[in-house]
Amino acid sequence: MAETKKIPTLKAAALVNPQEQATPGTLREGPRRIFVAGARRRVAIHLIERLLAAPEVDLVLGVDRGPCPPALLGCDPERFVFATADLSKRRQVDNLFLLDKLRERPLDSVVHLAFQGNPRGYGVESHEFNVNAARHLLDASLRHGVAKYLFLSSDAVYKIGPRTDYKVREDGELNLDPDVHPILRDTIDAEFMCRAKMDRPDCEVMVLRPSGVFGGGVLSGVNLLFESTPPVLPVGFDPMINPTSKERLARDLMLSIFLHGKGVYNLAGTTVGPLSKFLEERGIRPIRVPGPALGLVNRMQRMLGMTRYHAGFHPKRLFFSLVLDDTRFDRIFRANAHSVLALSRSPDPGG
Amino acid sequence: MFFSRRKAELLKPLLPALEWERVQAYAMTDAGFGTDPFGTDPDLLGFGYALGYWLHRHYFRVVSTGHHHIPARGAAVIAGNHSGVLPFDAVMLAVDVFRYTDPPRLMRFMVDYFVYQVPFLGVFFRSLGQMPGTRANFDGLVQEGHIVGLFPEGAEALGKPAAQRYELYPFSHGHVELAARHRVPVVPFALVGAEEQMTMITDLRPLARALRLPYFPITTTFPWFGPLGLLPKPVRYFINYGEPITIDPAALDSVDVRTTEVERVRDAVADLIQRGLEQRREYGSSSA
Repeated sequence: MAETKKIPTLKAAALVNPQEQATPGTLREGPRRIFVAGARRRVAIHLIERLLAAPEVDLVLGVDRGPCPPALLGCDPERFVFATADLSKRRQVDNLFLLDKLRERPLDSVVHLAFQGNPRGYGVESHEFNVNAARHLLDASLRHGVAKYLFLSSDAVYKIGPRTDYKVREDGELNLDPDVHPILRDTIDAEFMCRAKMDRPDCEVMVLRPSGVFGGGVLSGVNLLFESTPPVLPVGFDPMINPTSKERLARDLMLSIFLHGKGVYNLAGTTVGPLSKFLEERGIRPIRVPGPALGLVNRMQRMLGMTRYHAGFHPKRLFFSLVLDDTRFDRIFRANAHSVLALSRSPDPGG
Repeated sequence: MFFSRRKAELLKPLLPALEWERVQAYAMTDAGFGTDPFGTDPDLLGFGYALGYWLHRHYFRVVSTGHHHIPARGAAVIAGNHSGVLPFDAVMLAVDVFRYTDPPRLMRFMVDYFVYQVPFLGVFFRSLGQMPGTRANFDGLVQEGHIVGLFPEGAEALGKPAAQRYELYPFSHGHVELAARHRVPVVPFALVGAEEQMTMITDLRPLARALRLPYFPITTTFPWFGPLGLLPKPVRYFINYGEPITIDPAALDSVDVRTTEVERVRDAVADLIQRGLEQRREYGSSSA
């Protein structure tokens, strides 16, 4: 009698012997075949370049809506495939897992970096793309036997204010305010979808919440603020931050792909300090305006093309501290970086 | 930079050279930009200490005893009475601990949230190492081995009417629970003098709510003399520290034990208040 493949259920997951589950932080066996959704993002390009430099990576499938980014055109076609697809369409997502190249050895890891986080022009279309892409990618990954699913969320999901802890852990309060920006609402929804599947025994689902990311062309709030001419800050406030860099984030993503582990993790830079000191270090002189005028000045700056930073996206960000506590990720993943061959050769790029 | 070193050194003349050196030598974990993970800024610390030192020595002319009860190293909770309309008592206590401990120890208070909503004030408090009163902040401070200051009577006690001077409000249980959880001692203290620095007539609650303040005091001098009316009378402060109290870990499991432990701390503070009042009487008669 032919063996039928049982679909794991939550009940089955609960019955799995904990000793049979892989120890978090240990190296996943075998070569990796990785699906990177949102391959045109700067972080994704950096990640793909790093992945292709690793001998343990068998294949990288980069997917986005537009053409292949120029930086990836010269990659080895045997190990890198770029596909254009609309991830909000279930059929198109499914087809990506059925490519000829994947018939013999299917994908084992999916990295969802395709979430559209730019507040500019965020309408119904972007909202539907984010919601549907998050759902279809996760569903397809679980259906096609992917063993690791990563969703890159954001630190903007945390509620911030005068009561914010000096370091925010993964169990920190989320911003569930109904008036919150739609992107944040969609991000939290996408996180919840992932969290609902975290108990599955056959797939390690991870949600990563990076602090602001520095790096040329990166569309993170802190980076856009620093690229403004000049950055506008509220007078009398100087929040503490611990931003990371795209290099460090890419390294953290690699660790998440290569090592066992599931759950929600914060990712942050190594340096904690007041926002003004980060600006000063880069020789940037901000201008300060009274807090209530910040939104108006920011809107005018955007109209004049002086900034791409959107103060309304996370209005309290420039007033109150948000320092992420990533000791959990440190302990489970970064402490075991030496076991990943490609990473054992490269130093931690720091914050 | 939010507050330049040059500006921070403006008040340097208020400090004796030796005290300035002690501030400069204060050992702090550098989180990357000279501040510690809590945001304490050594430059601003010097500024704050210089101002506080002057008030401690010349304005409130603080007399304090029992410093040997403050642990020289490791975490501890310091809990005591709160009064005076404006929290000058907390400032004097922090200065007193810093001045009379060697190496100097910076006391970290759990501060009311509203402070961090006020431009400049929030940054100033944070730069002096004072944190919003959340459990995670308390845990972080204790884990890093700091002394945490708490007023178990709460901010309401600041507005005690004259008829209730030196009467303790009921103590909240948080300090005992946290001390038990982290196995750190509670050092009781009592501060005598602050009750007389301002006399509260009433609290304009609707105005306080509108301005998002914990209270809006009407005193014998404020608002009649404008902002100057908020200046406290230069009364002498008497601070007494008591023996550290080891909290029974069973306080984590039993409300009865916790209540008993809270009462132990409250009784210790009440005794110290009586001692402070006697000390003040003796001090008054001897100086007369």
